[in-house]
Amino acid sequence: MNSEEVKIGVYICHCGGNISDKVDVEKVAEDAGNLPDVTVSRTYTFMCADPGQELIVEDIEKHGLNRIVVASCSPSLHETTFRSAVVRGGLNQFLYEHVNIREQVSWVHASTGEATAKATTLVRAAIARVRHHEPLSLIRVGATSRALVLGGGVAGLRAALDLAVYGLPVTIVEKSSRLGGQVAEFGTVFPTGESGAELVRTLVRDVSALEEITVLTGARVTGATGYVGNFTVMVEQERGDGSTEDLEIPAGAVIVATGSRPYEPDMGEFGFGQFPEVVTLPDFIQILNETRADGDLTVNGKMIRRAAFIHCVGSRQIEGIQKPKPGRPLNENCSRICCTATLKAESDLIEKFPGVFVYDLYRDIRTYGRNHEEIYERASRDGVSFLCYEPATPPVVTMAAPDDTGNLLITVKDNLTAGMEIEVAVDLVVLAVGMEPADVGPLAESLKLPAGADGFLQEVHPKLRPVEMAVAGVVLAGTCQSPRDIEESCASASAAAVKVAGLLTRGHVDLEPYVARVNADRCEGTGICLSQCEYDGALKIVESVIDGRAIRKAVVNEALCTGCGACVAVCPTRAIDINGWTLDQFEAMVDAMCADPVEVASD
Amino acid sequence: MGTDRILILASAACAYPGADAVGQAHLSYPANTFVLRVPSPVVFPESFYYDSFEKGIGGIIVMSCGVECPYEGAYEKLAARIDRVSLGLKEQGINPRRLKLTSICTVCTKSFLKEVADMNSILAYEGAET
Repeated sequence: MNSEEVKIGVYICHCGGNISDKVDVEKVAEDAGNLPDVTVSRTYTFMCADPGQELIVEDIEKHGLNRIVVASCSPSLHETTFRSAVVRGGLNQFLYEHVNIREQVSWVHASTGEATAKATTLVRAAIARVRHHEPLSLIRVGATSRALVLGGGVAGLRAALDLAVYGLPVTIVEKSSRLGGQVAEFGTVFPTGESGAELVRTLVRDVSALEEITVLTGARVTGATGYVGNFTVMVEQERGDGSTEDLEIPAGAVIVATGSRPYEPDMGEFGFGQFPEVVTLPDFIQILNETRADGDLTVNGKMIRRAAFIHCVGSRQIEGIQKPKPGRPLNENCSRICCTATLKAESDLIEKFPGVFVYDLYRDIRTYGRNHEEIYERASRDGVSFLCYEPATPPVVTMAAPDDTGNLLITVKDNLTAGMEIEVAVDLVVLAVGMEPADVGPLAESLKLPAGADGFLQEVHPKLRPVEMAVAGVVLAGTCQSPRDIEESCASASAAAVKVAGLLTRGHVDLEPYVARVNADRCEGTGICLSQCEYDGALKIVESVIDGRAIRKAVVNEALCTGCGACVAVCPTRAIDINGWTLDQFEAMVDAMCADPVEVASD
Repeated sequence: MGTDRILILASAACAYPGADAVGQAHLSYPANTFVLRVPSPVVFPESFYYDSFEKGIGGIIVMSCGVECPYEGAYEKLAARIDRVSLGLKEQGINPRRLKLTSICTVCTKSFLKEVADMNSILAYEGAET
């Protein structure tokens, strides 16, 4: 390849306007086009779209390109996309270099002139690097034909069932003593009105009937090692006699379905913990389910005649108005399910106890899902009285006067009556609490699973790779990723199962070839590299006799090398490098960055 | 944009996604920053740092995964190397604060911004030499 004439194609993406609104992409392409060995330099609206990719394929065929550079979004999103295009053009996929001019340029720099100059420099550096690229081959390793599903709630059960349909053995690890998670306690669920407990019973019955699925209840993950295709998950399972058993479960992939938990209000938040008649929505649903319709609804021995439901408790929190819990960020997001769940609970209450008068205190209401609007309309028809409050002036819950019509007094400025301060006396206050992520436990630490600022686990990209994590072989299902209802949890669980099936049904996974390689001509067999290597067997010194002389050379075992590069830095003769990430490449990039500065145009 | 260029050696597993997270949050920092994605910054020999300064780089921020580095022992080796280079820079009369080792996680947006701001401050007010 080195003797071949280098012909580089450079493509600068507009990303709609995400890049081109801030970076003068035509100017960047023009600069690149004037560099030696650059045969083609273009811009396109969306390089990731099919026509954008086809530009690359056609140019490779038409102009005989043998190196490709694309400047677009982060490589985490589209490096593999463009590598595929390079392959379709007939080139080795590693003759490709990606430049990130969206997340690290157009989205972070205010000045068009500076952003354009920086993008130009980064493209120059990429061109300098791509010259050194060589064709590489993926490293194929066997994959364990088993998936581990962490969490036995609805999402975990759905994912396990789908995986079993693909013929893959599955192990479900559930920390509690039973399967089904929170849904089993929900009473009836929207929008179908079916029983949550029955829904769970059906899923559990189906899971139990499949020999591909092994269920471990009372089990918790204590750690994990390995990589995509070959994880080992350590599990501690409780035995009936109170002792525990340690298990090691090999798994090719892991589905995280650890779910969420209801937000627990602070002491005194809307009277929570202060007055026993203030309860959370999940607690209220349980009370309603456990109370017979032919009697009175009582809470703590007091009959309920008037109830008030308050929305957005622990959701859509605002700095300066709410305080974060210790060690937790403010939950600024909408928890999405609470509006529909609250309105449904209100109608269920009125249906079961028609004499109870219901107030609904909301900031905004959005029953967003298919058929959810009917639940809002039903609550309206059922006579729920709505009061609308501003975020800055939330309702205040206090003890009512002894002669009042209820135990608690709610004071609220109501937008529906032109901001009039209204007092309502009630016997019960129900707080529509939001969702918080459940603790994923040691798995997150062992496998370095990224979480967002809100604490929910983070997918690679919400649209392009919506259930995959940055850690290859780990995918997400259900509310561990974000607030969502049962339908959406099941949809993501099925998506996660398809991803895992696609990965493991081939029996192998292909790892990127970024491992150490030794230039035997340069290697003098000093063994210094060995002293730096932490991985047994990844590097060794081999002695041979050539022309009567004993020769020592370092040799890499590709299957055991992780490509960390610790050996590279210490070699006195620069005989060792990481495939695709050579010192020559890094130095060429720094040279390009330090070359004549790009002129910064005034904005 | 500051005139001194800051080279950021960002680990692919932690700091590079961290830099992406800064962009995804649409936070802002000066454009004199150039991020190099690297499996682990332990790959760079001492000469790489001296040569980069010699070539004209103003400051180098080594953004590693810290103790959460996915590669066994790599962070400790890297930290020891940066210590040695810092001493070497000082001996050569180069301000050693132009080289900084830090840990940036995938969501460490504030830390990323602070490191960039700190390095720009060093370059602006302390000068290139000791």
